[in-house]
Amino acid sequence: MYALIAANNRIRGPQSALTDFLASNNISAAQITADYDRRQREARQREQEEAAANGEAIEQQQEEDEERAEIEAAAQKKKRKRQQETALTKVKEGKAKKKQKKRKGDDSDGGDSDVTWDMYTKKKPLPGQLENCEECDKRFTVTPYSKTGPEGGLLCVKCSKEQTAQEKKNQKAKKPAVSRDKRRQVQSNLLDGIVQIGAKSLQDICIKEVANNILDIDEFGDLPQELLNPLSQILSRRRAITSRTLDLFLRSDLDTIDLYDCGKLETEDYIRIFSVVSNIRNLNLRNAGQFKDEVIDYIIERSIPIKTLQLEAANLVSNDKWTQFFMNCGEPLEFLKLTWLDYSMDDDAFSHLIRYCPNLTRLKLKKCFRLTDAALSAIKDLKQLERLSLRFPTPTSSDALAELISKIGPNLRTLSLENFTDADDDVLSTIHTSCTQLSKLRFTENDYCTDAGFVGLFTEWSNPPLAFIDLSSNRSVDYSMPDGPEVPTGLASAGFEALMEHSGARLEHLDISSCRHITYETFSNIFDGKNQYPFLKDINISFLTKIDTAIAAGMFRSCPELIKVTAFGCFNVIDVAVPKGVALIGVPNAQDSIVQEGDVDADLF
Amino acid sequence: MNTPSTSPYVTLISSDGFEFIVSRDAACVAGTIKKMLDPQSAGVVLEKVCEYLYYNLKHKDAKDVPDMEIPPELCLELLMAADYLHV
Repeated sequence: MYALIAANNRIRGPQSALTDFLASNNISAAQITADYDRRQREARQREQEEAAANGEAIEQQQEEDEERAEIEAAAQKKKRKRQQETALTKVKEGKAKKKQKKRKGDDSDGGDSDVTWDMYTKKKPLPGQLENCEECDKRFTVTPYSKTGPEGGLLCVKCSKEQTAQEKKNQKAKKPAVSRDKRRQVQSNLLDGIVQIGAKSLQDICIKEVANNILDIDEFGDLPQELLNPLSQILSRRRAITSRTLDLFLRSDLDTIDLYDCGKLETEDYIRIFSVVSNIRNLNLRNAGQFKDEVIDYIIERSIPIKTLQLEAANLVSNDKWTQFFMNCGEPLEFLKLTWLDYSMDDDAFSHLIRYCPNLTRLKLKKCFRLTDAALSAIKDLKQLERLSLRFPTPTSSDALAELISKIGPNLRTLSLENFTDADDDVLSTIHTSCTQLSKLRFTENDYCTDAGFVGLFTEWSNPPLAFIDLSSNRSVDYSMPDGPEVPTGLASAGFEALMEHSGARLEHLDISSCRHITYETFSNIFDGKNQYPFLKDINISFLTKIDTAIAAGMFRSCPELIKVTAFGCFNVIDVAVPKGVALIGVPNAQDSIVQEGDVDADLF
Repeated sequence: MNTPSTSPYVTLISSDGFEFIVSRDAACVAGTIKKMLDPQSAGVVLEKVCEYLYYNLKHKDAKDVPDMEIPPELCLELLMAADYLHV
């Protein structure tokens, strides 16, 4: 035995079926590998020679070399191809047999067969070599970027490009099948409070289509005014209001221009608005950074009697120009809204506003950095004022605010006071005594007023029930006491109960977000499913972490007209059944909300 | 309202059956009638409106309805028609 092994003197590992098969056909795997290596070596050598020849830069010789190489390559290729073909057919047969064997359970496959197989697949020429295109049979130089054709061969530059174009086309054609965009759109709509059931109106679809093709439209024709506004909104949202698209909105028969994003308009564009739409009475320009002194000059020169003026971010107008504007054009002004003027208007210019605009019924001022207590007190001289909306970035005194409200309060229909951090319970009691015909009240971002102050405001208030109440962020901000101080600060349980007692019957919009001292018991009493708030459509309960699924469900029963619930940060609201047509925003839920079909009362508890 | 567009007169029919023949110019003083008689609101637009009416009915209670395809060249005219018809 020993002698026999010694005679063979070879230790052999497991052999693949292919190796066996090849050996039986007198084909040695080692020989083939050696041949393959040699051919590779030759190809490399030839390449190096060619490169060297190129280096000598003798064009003629290079051409000769190339020709020779070509002929050689062609001849070799033909030979190789023949060899490959015969080998391939044999290997294929072998593979088929091997598969049969495999099925029988003989699984002694060595890794070497794969290597062997790789060698017999159509060999790809190395970059720099010449090859015939698989598609068009043209001869071309192979580059690292050459594409593989459908049969495995290489493609010329032209055919490669065509293939890439085709692939892109196919990808594009596939895209609509992916619903991610649509899902994103649904979520985006939900954040806007839009829950669409059924098709959009034909108007909405058309407006969207017009906006999509805005660059191909030369004029809107006699499109009615009320359709221009949604068009302006959608174009502003896409930041597509430019000098060119502005022209579409300018028609001499109009008296109203609403543009919600003027970021791309230049000073001349604003002047053009007034020269084309010479009858303009209502002007609403947001993000109007380039609305400068020259524009005001033009308005004064033409003495255009503007009734409604809303300007946002017109912070390059000088104080003198504001003064001139109010002196010349103040009389007809009825509604003035100035926001984000930054450092553009000071108390002095503002005093001219008060003096020369006696007919103002609506005044809204936000983020005008240089207005102080003096401006706040000056507002009391606007005798016609019915709607007042203020947000002062500078600290103002509680007394000045209380005094203002006591003077103009009786005439006010809406009052919005944002971020008056120093206002105290006196302001609330002044609102209680002075304001008797409010339909909208906003008093936000304050940590000074107490719950008792809010109870005092809403208890036995001679003002009829309000339709709109926003008391968000009235809470203690001392986070060392998460449950709030002993004496409840901000809108807490008693204040909220007094609010709902006073206005619940007519309330449409309610924002109590971040009023974190309202207790769970109060919520469950207010939204017990039996109390009815028949007009409540929109409610914001964000960051009221005590609210849970049961209270949310009770809310849906207590407010039959509800269409929008904003509930960011309400982590205890989980898998609540949302009635049909209600947008529940902000509740973390990877799934679509569970929309309840049919009757709301069916199965809430 | 079905008078051919060449006729200088139009017939207005009331809901209780009275017919009034008035000149086209006179009738067109009324904006709504003018819009109705406008030859612009012809075949293609009306066809699209009808398509929408059925599309709307079909997706009455569905969620996430895909928008109906609107040929860009028609969108303005169709918008006017939609505004007029309140759809």
